[in-house]
Amino acid sequence: MSHLTSFPNAPLPTEGEVGRRTNLFVQAGRFAVLNVKMILMVTKGHH
Amino acid sequence: MTRTVILGAGIAGHTAALHLRRMVGKEHDVVVVAPNSKWNWIPSNIWVGVGQMTVKQVTFPLAPIYQRKGIEFHQALATELHGEGSADLPRPHVTVRYTDPARQGQTGQLEYDFLINATGPKLNFGATPGLGPDGYTWSVCTAGHATETAKAFEDVIARLKQGENQTLLIGMGHGTCTCQGAAFEYTFNVEHELVKEGVRDKAEVIYITNESQLGDFGMDGMNFGHKGDVIPSQMFTESIFQERGVKAIMSAHVEKVEPGVAFYEQVDGTKGQQSFDFAMLLPPFRGADLKAFDAAGEDITTDVFAPSGFMKVDADYTPKPYEEWKASDWPRTYQSVKYDNAWAAGIAFAPPHQMSRPQTSPNGTVIAPAPPRTGMPSGVIGRAVAQTIAERIKHGSSGKVHTASMADMGAACIASAGKGWRKGTAAAMTVFPIIPDKEKYGEAGRDVKETYGEIGLSAHWMKVMLHYLFIYKAKARPLWFLIPE
Repeated sequence: MSHLTSFPNAPLPTEGEVGRRTNLFVQAGRFAVLNVKMILMVTKGHH
Repeated sequence: MTRTVILGAGIAGHTAALHLRRMVGKEHDVVVVAPNSKWNWIPSNIWVGVGQMTVKQVTFPLAPIYQRKGIEFHQALATELHGEGSADLPRPHVTVRYTDPARQGQTGQLEYDFLINATGPKLNFGATPGLGPDGYTWSVCTAGHATETAKAFEDVIARLKQGENQTLLIGMGHGTCTCQGAAFEYTFNVEHELVKEGVRDKAEVIYITNESQLGDFGMDGMNFGHKGDVIPSQMFTESIFQERGVKAIMSAHVEKVEPGVAFYEQVDGTKGQQSFDFAMLLPPFRGADLKAFDAAGEDITTDVFAPSGFMKVDADYTPKPYEEWKASDWPRTYQSVKYDNAWAAGIAFAPPHQMSRPQTSPNGTVIAPAPPRTGMPSGVIGRAVAQTIAERIKHGSSGKVHTASMADMGAACIASAGKGWRKGTAAAMTVFPIIPDKEKYGEAGRDVKETYGEIGLSAHWMKVMLHYLFIYKAKARPLWFLIPE
């Protein structure tokens, strides 16, 4: 017996989202934002 | 002069050793005991497992680093803890069995004033018959395992290119496994490589997990704040599975593996089997199985260690149902319940309970993801324990006790979903706090402003950057201590 599940109701990214995820300029900006977010989170973890 | 012995040279132990060496004078000994000669940046093993990195890129020898920093190194496995000393050696000490080629199999005793148990996990492949590289599945838990796995994956790609169909099964090899994040990463790196090789259409990729829902990650799921909305990690993760055409078997305990077939039980008690041509299934973890003895030589292992083999520390281990779990159950100082001069850091401490709701099948099989405590929390805990010991060395018992509760700590995690400067992708996630705190943050258990998820190429760049950054730090290069854990 197999219990394989797929997720047909899961939302898929729009064409625009896929484009943003791979666009070098957008991603360069996100890289900077992610760095700031990570640094803030890491700072909160250090007492 | 004092002597601090650190058992283990993984993220927690190595971090503790480097920080302690920096914080106390050279007249104080810092001693590391580890069975492996090399340090391994384990988060990148998933790339070794798909042939995108080599062992050399994720490991380096420990001995030269320790020699340069003035840390005594014993390549050995700790087997016994004598925290009160023994009849023949009255000072606290550990018994070790050497694993380096020159002293292979010899035993020794290492005395200490302070002890850090950072032994990490024992990979318990034996919990599931047929699991692991000695059985019928592959692993990416060590760099060596990952190299073998990459070769097997290469064979799969060759067969696909010859026109054969292949089923690849990836995930959890037992109902109590942890590290779902690593299995998730390996799944999508495999899928990414299949696309790159132009053979995706002939391959079925299946994720098998003990999670009750995708996105649980052993952390009871997360709620990501996004532009004023809340996106459950379940929806976030299912979206990736749907987009990439990966199917899943949920709430599963793998009972046994035979050549080409995994047999499992689900939480409703039904049994199933999944055939495969290639399987990478992670093992459950247990503690290093150190034995503890009192001064008279009596075995007091159960006083010092939980049945799982992990060391009992300042947590609340009172058994209680999921509804009564509290963030305050989790340890703050990581000091042993038995010894004033011993601590457990990283995976080596016994957690008070899981984070995800445990489930039991009608047959009594426990299907409960164990709580993750690898990576960033391991490093932070290692440093906090080193700071506490440095204070004790400098100021005696009045020294400041440093804390690092996972209930007050955030974590940043980058889950790779494919490697490549231009075509790579990953999910970047932050979570605060790691341990859900329903008293403070309501039913979600976490701060939705601080808990965040994003998918994209930039997250992949971040994962690559962290790879080089943490190896730089672990090699104790100039100003390494400015890089946070």
